[in-house]
Amino acid sequence: MTNWTMNGRCWKFGDNVGIDGDMMPLEFALKRETNPAVLGPYLMTGLDPDFPKKVKPGDIIVGGKRFAQGNPHIQGLIGISAHGLGLVVESIQRGSYRNAINAGVPFLPACVGVGELVQTGDQIEVNFATGVFINHSRGTQMQYPPLAQSQLAIIAAGGWRAQLEARVAAMRAKG
Amino acid sequence: MGQTIAEKIFSRACGRPVQEGDIVYPEPDLVTTHDWYVVNFDKVMQELGIDRLHAPHKLLISTDHEPVATSPLAAQRQRQVREVVRKYGIEHFYDVGRGGHGHVFPMEKGYVRPGMLVIAYDIHVTNYGALGCMGIPVVTEISEVLACGNVWLKVPHTVRINLVGRLGPGITMRDVAQKMISVIPVDAADYAAFEIGGPGLASVDFAGRQVLCNTPIEIGAKTAFIEPDQQTLDYLKGRTTEPVELIKSDADARFHTVIEFDLGLVEPQVAAPPTPDNVVGVSQLVGKKIDHAFLGSCAAPGIGDLAIAARILKGKHIHQDVRFFVTPSTYEVMSQATELGYMQTLIDAGASITAPGCGVCAGGKIGAMADGEVSINTGTRNDFGRLGAMNSEIYLASAATVAASALAGAIADPRPYLHD
Repeated sequence: MTNWTMNGRCWKFGDNVGIDGDMMPLEFALKRETNPAVLGPYLMTGLDPDFPKKVKPGDIIVGGKRFAQGNPHIQGLIGISAHGLGLVVESIQRGSYRNAINAGVPFLPACVGVGELVQTGDQIEVNFATGVFINHSRGTQMQYPPLAQSQLAIIAAGGWRAQLEARVAAMRAKG
Repeated sequence: MGQTIAEKIFSRACGRPVQEGDIVYPEPDLVTTHDWYVVNFDKVMQELGIDRLHAPHKLLISTDHEPVATSPLAAQRQRQVREVVRKYGIEHFYDVGRGGHGHVFPMEKGYVRPGMLVIAYDIHVTNYGALGCMGIPVVTEISEVLACGNVWLKVPHTVRINLVGRLGPGITMRDVAQKMISVIPVDAADYAAFEIGGPGLASVDFAGRQVLCNTPIEIGAKTAFIEPDQQTLDYLKGRTTEPVELIKSDADARFHTVIEFDLGLVEPQVAAPPTPDNVVGVSQLVGKKIDHAFLGSCAAPGIGDLAIAARILKGKHIHQDVRFFVTPSTYEVMSQATELGYMQTLIDAGASITAPGCGVCAGGKIGAMADGEVSINTGTRNDFGRLGAMNSEIYLASAATVAASALAGAIADPRPYLHD
């Protein structure tokens, strides 16, 4: 991913969205299912059963505090990646922060008060490399802390596994 | 600006000064993993075409989550683990019967010292914080550490806990640790390193320090450790020949939050389902019927846990409707408890003793629970279904409360048994 800007519809969720149940049925975590094609159709269905049918690539989920809380299973984050969505949250639990990077999801992890600036359906534009957040529907703009370059590089590579394969290949080339 | 203990450990492991918030690739001093995850990381190595680990001499493997294989599949996995160990030439391998719980015995055997950085697969590696060591779990990304030597980590901000006061009669450090995570705001805990010190720390024994470092991970902390002191030096005497330095935060280091916590609680604490920070005083639950009790896990790691249970159960027999499993954390602890007569007392009281390791707490592979059953135990977590049936209930408490409850057949306050 070389273009870090997404411009799409906002899908707003509240505080304490759970990784298991809210974001993805627990059974997929227990089965260790990691195929995006399998997980995509279940994303956020614990909170909105029609969510996977409504979203389009480039849309952005805006979450509240402790987004993706609970036992840090990666399946819900793979579901976000499967739909090509971005993620902007007030805060995110540590295990899910790692999993979002590992699943290759572009996200802003610490956007204090962002929930008060948007409603579902607003047209929003986010640059995940600079942290610039624009709500076109309301004409507002904010600056939030972006991820570090090394974390963006993992997301750009397509997530943890793809990055690890590239790192090992580079090590091998060096000898 | 001075540095916190966390920043000092990260700076040393990175070979340059780093500070809170930096994303870095530090070299760990020790790497730990357990049981069948060894088979999983070997699979990743094979897929990556890697036939030797970056630093096999830094890797410590424990067979503790299922030390006694309970199925042909488990036996097969154990054999695969032994083959992987041989293939990569891993010398620090503690199979069944060798060490016990991998979050505890490496401290007994001198692998862990103040100021070290340990990167681990399993989350409760934070027990090593009892010696002022920083243990950080990364779960599946441990494969990257084994293949390449490191993985990205964020230098954490520090929540400083200053302990004051002393334990009240009949109260244990497990009660304190449970209460502590129920009152610290989760927003402060997220990503944080918990640095635990203050005038009350001197009165907290080694096992109590492990429990204090064990519970914060349940509310989102990245790691937890005590500020090492004279007791740390005393414990390590004879266990390591390496130099031991008492690392401390600088006077002008920046703490994100400073919390004073009084050890003098008024009553024992119990965590009700489904999270370890859902904590109430035992008086609110007294009389709730139980079917199952368990004493063990990395959150009840010490000889003192067995001692207090033996004191309560001496000359008595547990309730006829209760099954009570006891798992000493390590072989050293079991041996000491045997010498002191605690094991005999527990056996006479009707307890089932299992091989050292995680015991029932490792997902109920042994001693699981059926539909609708209720357990009180000293394990680390109480999610629905963790120890078997999805509609079974788990209450977490101290060894004293667990023993008193096993005796009564219902959740009970241990203090009447603990008058001097």
